[in-house]
Amino acid sequence: MPAPMIRLESLSRTFQVGDALVRALDQVDLGIEAGEYLSIMGPSGSGKSTLLNVLGLLDTPTAGAYWLNGVNTSAMSDDQLAATRQSQIGFVFQSFHLVPRMSALENVELPMLLAGLDPAERRERARAALAGVGLTGRSDHRPAQLSGGERQRVAIARAIVMQPKLLLADEPTGNLDTASGAEIVRIVEGLNERGLTLIVVTHDAQIGERARRRLRLRDGRVVEDLRTTRP
Amino acid sequence: MTFTDCTRVALGALVRYPLRTAMMLLATAIGVAAVLVLTALGEAARRFVAEEFQSLGTHLLVVLPGKTETSGMGPGLMAGESPRDLTLADARALLRSPAVAKVAPIVVGAATVSFDGLERDITVMGSTASLLEVRQWRMAGGEFLRDQDWDRASPECVIGDTLRSELFVGRQPVGQWLRVGDRRCRIAGILARQGMSVMVNVDELVIMPVASAQQLLNAPGLFRVLVQAAGRDSVMPARRDMEQILKERHRGQEDVTVITQDSVLATFDGIFGALTAALAGIASVSLVVAGVLIMNVMLVSVSQRTAEIGLLKALGANRSQVTRLFLTEAVILAAFGAVAGVTFGQAAIFLMRSLYPDLDFDPPLWAVAGSFLIAIGCGALFGILPARRAARLDPIAALAGR
Amino acid sequence: MQGRDLLRFTTRSALSHRLRSGLTALGIGIGVTAVVLLTAIGEGLHHYVLDEFTQFGTNIIGINPGRSTTFGAATGVFGAVRPLTIDDAEALKRVPFVLNTVPIVQGTASAEGGGRERSTNISGVGPEMPAAFDFQVALGGFLPADDPRAPRPLAVLGATVRHELYGERNPLGELLRVGGERYRIVGVMESKGQVLGFDLDDTVYIPAVRALELYNRQGLFEIDVLYDKSASADEVVAGIERMIIARHGGLDVTITTQQQMLDVLGSVLDVVTFAVAALGGISLLVGGVGIFTIMTIAVRERTAEIGLLRAVGAGRGQVRAIFLGESMLLAALGGVGGLLAGTAIVALIGVAVPLLPVRLSLPYVAAAQAIAVLIGLIAGVVPAQRAAALDPVAALRTE
Repeated sequence: MPAPMIRLESLSRTFQVGDALVRALDQVDLGIEAGEYLSIMGPSGSGKSTLLNVLGLLDTPTAGAYWLNGVNTSAMSDDQLAATRQSQIGFVFQSFHLVPRMSALENVELPMLLAGLDPAERRERARAALAGVGLTGRSDHRPAQLSGGERQRVAIARAIVMQPKLLLADEPTGNLDTASGAEIVRIVEGLNERGLTLIVVTHDAQIGERARRRLRLRDGRVVEDLRTTRP
Repeated sequence: MTFTDCTRVALGALVRYPLRTAMMLLATAIGVAAVLVLTALGEAARRFVAEEFQSLGTHLLVVLPGKTETSGMGPGLMAGESPRDLTLADARALLRSPAVAKVAPIVVGAATVSFDGLERDITVMGSTASLLEVRQWRMAGGEFLRDQDWDRASPECVIGDTLRSELFVGRQPVGQWLRVGDRRCRIAGILARQGMSVMVNVDELVIMPVASAQQLLNAPGLFRVLVQAAGRDSVMPARRDMEQILKERHRGQEDVTVITQDSVLATFDGIFGALTAALAGIASVSLVVAGVLIMNVMLVSVSQRTAEIGLLKALGANRSQVTRLFLTEAVILAAFGAVAGVTFGQAAIFLMRSLYPDLDFDPPLWAVAGSFLIAIGCGALFGILPARRAARLDPIAALAGR
Repeated sequence: MQGRDLLRFTTRSALSHRLRSGLTALGIGIGVTAVVLLTAIGEGLHHYVLDEFTQFGTNIIGINPGRSTTFGAATGVFGAVRPLTIDDAEALKRVPFVLNTVPIVQGTASAEGGGRERSTNISGVGPEMPAAFDFQVALGGFLPADDPRAPRPLAVLGATVRHELYGERNPLGELLRVGGERYRIVGVMESKGQVLGFDLDDTVYIPAVRALELYNRQGLFEIDVLYDKSASADEVVAGIERMIIARHGGLDVTITTQQQMLDVLGSVLDVVTFAVAALGGISLLVGGVGIFTIMTIAVRERTAEIGLLRAVGAGRGQVRAIFLGESMLLAALGGVGGLLAGTAIVALIGVAVPLLPVRLSLPYVAAAQAIAVLIGLIAGVVPAQRAAALDPVAALRTE
């Protein structure tokens, strides 16, 4: 059996809030294989966003170990973490996080720009990514000129344009109407079918139930880990 | 909304963003402090020069031989050569004017002095007993030249402080015989240390009776005549009388130039006054830059506080009230900045004063008041645009935060 | 991230707040304009003064009687135990590399001619004066090379004197009365204008010996020595010193080379230019405070964007570079604007007020530009550092 893509070993993340010590993640052990489709659910404050941030290398655990593709990430420097995020991880946020002064195309180009890719190559790959999410005609529009669903599709194009192995989505449909939300879910699931590991944090049970593996968190602990085999 | 309420609201807004408020205060303060320090410098220079000229004497007039019709002190006039010399008799005749109190004729030239094998090139000045009073010099020891007949070439002299220390190391010079050029003179006294006084290094002078100096330098004419008028109001009459007397004595020719101390002083005062004003102007440019900064930050603050402004309007604030609110904020910033600037400036001036105690650094009142007013004026002027922008916001859109 | 991408990125974000960026750059721009303008005036003054002095040539050495100086001149001018004579001037012509010597006696007197009278400067000089000082004769000729000890009573008029006494008439051959002597006018000088407020043209030139008689003087004011440009000034000075010692038994004169004077004058004027540049720099400092403030605000406003950049793989260094770049860009924009405005105003002054000597000082223009960018860099460090240090998770949470 190959080593899992992600392995968490008694991982904890605590915050000092005033006098109280908040255990956002408490001794979590978890393994995720490449290509999995996983949803994380739980009430507010259960630690699901913290878990996603730790998985995305945006947040660092206070205790325990996180192995990504066999590499212990706790030994990485800030720059190495940034480089790993750049090449291996894509993010999709509830509030889209598009840069308002940039066109859709430029927003998609942003990770490649930071990576120092050539403009011609950037343009070509960004266009392809936008076409992949069905936004071929909208590439020169500013975020303000796009609907919520279109904005989130731009964000998805941006998340996958560096061809990461792992896509992390934090309430991707939270700010969208039902139809747009369904469209976004269809797109990310399509990406998962082509081999991308997909982890979705949501409090929407309907969306959470769609995942083949469902984690439920409470008070920083994994209280449920359900799997369904592909129908 | 009363003025107090307006001020309280504005102060509250300023306190909410301490860093940017501090920076705007700093910018204004730099400008105000720069105005203060620079005008203090200019003013110190003006006073220094004025004192230099005042130290020449009081109610002083200077007669130079020669005259040109174009203005400007050319080398011809500086050298004081003219076909008709200004003579000792001319100088004596000046005393006929009731407006003239004292007359000191002057001859200068270069000579070598020696004492006991030590030699030095110095400036010889020939004059009379009244020179000491006219120039207000002090003696360090002995006596100045005796009050005697001006035509008498008595072998006596008075030496400056540098000469004393260089030629008479550890010896008492008074009563010694000094060789000056091809003559000898008995040292009657020593001048107290005065340093440079309007381009003449008094400490390196040898002063002897005017007739002796004329013989020594083989100079029949006088270089200058210093005249002290009887009082402040006598200066102009003295000048008229002197020009008249010399014209009569020179067969109707106006071939001398009379300069009054006051006119020279006024000229320098004018020059340094203009210089100080120019410095203040240059420093004020930085106040304009500070004003631009206030405008910029106020604009940012208007767009960040859109919702707040919308709320105020929804609660019944009209345009002029909103305008007043933001203008008050800008003026308060400028005023506090100016206060800080005056404090900085005075601190810097205090420092300068302790470093250079000889100079009298003190910013003129007009500069303090002016920089204050300009700062507040800039604050108000540059506050107008943001304030109007805030006042024009549509309350519904503003409440929505758009 | 590639350099041009960084530039494009920062330009775009600066342009997204046109008014704000414009005002920020304006602060620096005003400062740079002030520096450019003030140093242009300083530099103009520098060139004006140096031109005034070098118009008399640079390979000149002045010799004055006496060793000590008073009133800014050698005291011996006013009277000396051992005078400088016409014979000294003649003897100095034999010093190696000396091309010419010009004896000078200066004073004022009344000159009568053409039915009018005028108080004017009367200068006693030698026939080589126009060649030595680069003066041009407009009409007739200069004083001829007579026996320097017994020259004929001839005079040459300065342009002002000629105009005041004779108007537009040709004065050549007329008699001019100076101090009881009659001089025949043989020439009129071309106008030299004013030097530091003194009208050079308000002068009558007569032979030096006759001026000594006129003023009843023993010695000359000055002997000016014109030397071969190929020789070093020090060499010539040494030769002059040897000659004076041989003739006077000691070195009882003050020797000043034109180069020394120019050097002293030049360094004084350099200090003046530097001082006014520093004064203009105060505004630059205030402009720097402006950049700092606006960049701090920008970092605060764009916290979410910084979080996103970190999420899509920007390292702290890249975030820092982006904000430093923006801060420097604003400063550079202001600098270029200030440069253009300053240059335009200088050009305008040159056209509108030709009397005011202004001249762009390229080193200072470049320095103002460099300092503007440096101020942008310094003002940007703290905000950029703050941006780089932001925690990405917290930054992403801000809306």
